Amino acid sequence: MQSVKMPDQNQKISKSHIPRNSLFFEKIVPSLLILMGVITLGLILFAVAVLIGIVHF
Amino acid sequence: MSINQALPFISTAIMLGFTIHVLQRFFVRRQLHFLFWGVGLAMFGAGSFAEAYLALAWNKWVFFIWYLFGAALNAAWLGHGTLYLLVRKKWVHGLTIMLVLGSLFAGYLMLQVMPKLDTEIFTTEKLISEQYGTKVLEAGKTAPEGAQTARATYRGQNVTVVRGLLPLGSTVRLTTPFFNIYGLLTLVGGAIWSAYLFWRKRVMPNRVIGNVLIASGALLIGFASTLTRLGYGQFLYLGELLSAILMFAGFRFAARPQPDEVPQSVPVAATD
Repeated sequence: MQSVKMPDQNQKISKSHIPRNSLFFEKIVPSLLILMGVITLGLILFAVAVLIGIVHF
Repeated sequence: MSINQALPFISTAIMLGFTIHVLQRFFVRRQLHFLFWGVGLAMFGAGSFAEAYLALAWNKWVFFIWYLFGAALNAAWLGHGTLYLLVRKKWVHGLTIMLVLGSLFAGYLMLQVMPKLDTEIFTTEKLISEQYGTKVLEAGKTAPEGAQTARATYRGQNVTVVRGLLPLGSTVRLTTPFFNIYGLLTLVGGAIWSAYLFWRKRVMPNRVIGNVLIASGALLIGFASTLTRLGYGQFLYLGELLSAILMFAGFRFAARPQPDEVPQSVPVAATD
């Protein structure tokens, strides 16, 4: 047995996998996810503060 | 009608298209997350339409729709759809019962408060989200320009209030943060989590991007609403429109058919 890459299927692989060495996926996407996570946490804490009356809104 | 007043009608049209698209998927696939998303999107669209209507004229039942569906419930229903997609456990059905009962209870509380609305203060000069609630004016602070004040007794104290449509201390307003915290956590948190999972596995780049768009759209409307309540209402309609576009684009992106997963290499028998 020997592993041989099939050219037509390799095209499909590249479409369903995140490309390597992509600045967008390596740097921008994780930064966005972290930023949005922090903002979400901040908004939730803000909403809880409103709920318990610490912040009057 | 100004361009700013026309924006919510465009948002409503986008949401209507989005809702039909998602509900069609539910009727074909019978998956519950599509149903909850569809209901949540319909609520978003109804809230958006009600907001646009209330910028032109007053109608108490349009206000009912705006507050109940637009301000209180829609994020929770959308987020619950995301929870159904991500978590295939029985306890999610328990949360569904709580969400449905909680929504009905909020509807009941809203009906209770309808005869007590202070409709005298309604004006089309201000956004509905800037005039819906009666607020206590803290000592030393001045009322916003154009706001009407009154004296009232609240929790045993004589206070000055900025008049709003809903009376001071309306119970229905206490329910809203619960729905919105749950919606924020599940809708935005769920989209971020999904994007992270696909990113970590390095598969389905369309779903990574789609979920980032959905999360950013949901956060944008949260920001626009917060800014409105802090007195910067001029961004609300634009925020709603961008949010509708981002979430719809994100959904279409994430749902785009991808080539089937195939192994990195295909074993072939070497016969020579």
